[in-house]
Amino acid sequence: MRIEISTLSNSDGKFNHQKMDRLAMVLSNLNNSGKQVIVVSSGAIALGIDKMRIKNQPTSYEEMQAIAAVGQAELIRFYQHYFDQYNQIVAQVLLIGDIMDNVTRVKNTQNTFDTLLEMNIIPIVNENDAVSLTDIELDDNYILALQVAKITKADIILIKMDTNSKFIIQPRNKLNAKFVSDETQLFKELEKTCNEIVCDDSAELFFPESIKDIVLN
Amino acid sequence: MRESFKYKKRIVVKVGTSSLSYANGRLNFQRIANLSYVLSALRNRNLEIVLVSSGAIGVGAGRLGMLNRPVELSKKQALAAVGQAELIKIYQKFFEGYNQTVAQVLLTKDIVTIPDRHQNAKSTLLKLMEMGIIPIINENDTISTYEIEFGDNDTLSANVAQLIEADLLILLSDIDGLYSADPKKEDKAEIIRSVDKITPELEKLASGTGTSFGTGGMVTKISAAKICIDANIDTIITNGNDPSIIFDILEGKEVGTHFVANKSVILKD
Repeated sequence: MRIEISTLSNSDGKFNHQKMDRLAMVLSNLNNSGKQVIVVSSGAIALGIDKMRIKNQPTSYEEMQAIAAVGQAELIRFYQHYFDQYNQIVAQVLLIGDIMDNVTRVKNTQNTFDTLLEMNIIPIVNENDAVSLTDIELDDNYILALQVAKITKADIILIKMDTNSKFIIQPRNKLNAKFVSDETQLFKELEKTCNEIVCDDSAELFFPESIKDIVLN
Repeated sequence: MRESFKYKKRIVVKVGTSSLSYANGRLNFQRIANLSYVLSALRNRNLEIVLVSSGAIGVGAGRLGMLNRPVELSKKQALAAVGQAELIKIYQKFFEGYNQTVAQVLLTKDIVTIPDRHQNAKSTLLKLMEMGIIPIINENDTISTYEIEFGDNDTLSANVAQLIEADLLILLSDIDGLYSADPKKEDKAEIIRSVDKITPELEKLASGTGTSFGTGGMVTKISAAKICIDANIDTIITNGNDPSIIFDILEGKEVGTHFVANKSVILKD
C-alpha cells in the first residue's frame, strides 16, 4: 500500500512546529504498520522568508527561487529533526516540473523511490524550485503529488489541509474522497480505504487532476 | 607571485569526498568546520562564494550504518537522497557558527544543455550571492543518471563557474597539485606551478596520479580546468587538507597548480 501525503501550508504564516511533529508521528506510525509512505511537502519559501527575516513578500522570480534554496535546506532539516524523534529515517527528493517528459529520469526516479521504500525510508519530495521552470510552489503542490503518485503507483493520496486541519483520503480508483479531521479516525479510515481498494496493479490508476475536483466530488 | 589573485571577486570552491572524510569514509568534522570558517570569512570580505560539495552518498551510507558503498545505481541514488539531507544539515550547523546563511542548490546537466534552465539556475545563484548567502551545490543524484550526466563534481564545478562567470575555480583535492610524475612512486616528481594549455601529454600525466576515493581523481580535474581555461576562468588545483590555503591563494601565493585562463577569449553574455 503506497500512500502519499501532500501537506498544504499557507505561505504567509509562521512555521508550525507542533503540526510537523504530529505529522512525523502519524507518518512514522503508518510506516511502522507496514504502509509505504511518501511525503510531498511545500513550505520552503515560507521557511526561507522566516530564516532571512524578510518583511515583505518577495515578488521577483529570482528572489523567490533564492529564498526557496535557503528554505528547502531548513525544511529538510526540520523534517529530519522531527522524524528522528520517532527513529524514522527520511530522504530528500527534489523533482522538476517536467519530470514526466524524460523517460530515463522517470525510470531513475522510480528506482530511487522503490529503493528508499524498500529500505524503510520516507522520501520527502518537493519541487526543485532553484532550477524549476514551472510556477513556484503552486499553491497546493497537488500537481507534484499527482505526478509522484503516478511514478510510484501509489494507492492513496492523502492530503493534509493546513487551513482547517482536515485530512482528505483520495484512493487511486474512482472511489470518492473521504474527509477526516482527527488522527485516530485517520488510521481507521485509511485501513478501511485500503480494504476497499482492489489491489490490482494492472487496474488503471485514477486520481482527480486537481484538488478542486476532490473537494467538489 | 600571482598578483591578479588578490583581486578575485567571484569564487567557486569545489570540495570532494576525499577532502570531507577520513580514509574510513566517515566525515571529518574538523575539516568541514575549517572550510566553513574560511568561506564565511571570505564572504565577510564581500567576496562572492559558491561551494560545490560532494559527499552525499558517503554520509548516507554512514547514516544507515552501511560499511561498504553500494555498487548498484538505485542504491547509490537512495543513499544520496538520505545523505544530501544530512550533509546540508551539517553545513548549516557549521556555517551558522559564523552567522553565515547557506542555501542548497541541486543541479542536473540541464543547466548546460537547456537554455531556459541555464538562465534560471544562473539567476538563482546570482540572487543568492547578492543576498549574501553561500549556495552549496551538488548534483541532483536522485533524478539524474548518476555518473552518466555530470559524472563527477569536478565537471559540475567547472560548469557552475562558467554559468556564473566566476573569476576563479578552486578544486580542493588530496594532492598538492599536478606533478611531473607520480609523487608516490618517483622521488624526482615535481609539482607543476603553472599550466597554460592542456596538451595530450599533460592529460596522460594526469591519468597516472590521483585518488582512489570519490569518483574524481586528476583526470576529471584536468578536464574541469580545460572548461575553465576556455571560458577565461583561472583554476587552482590544490590540497584541501587545510582549507585556509584558500587565504594563501587569494594573497597570490604560489600554491597548487594554476591553470591560466585564456584571456583571448571574448565572453559574450
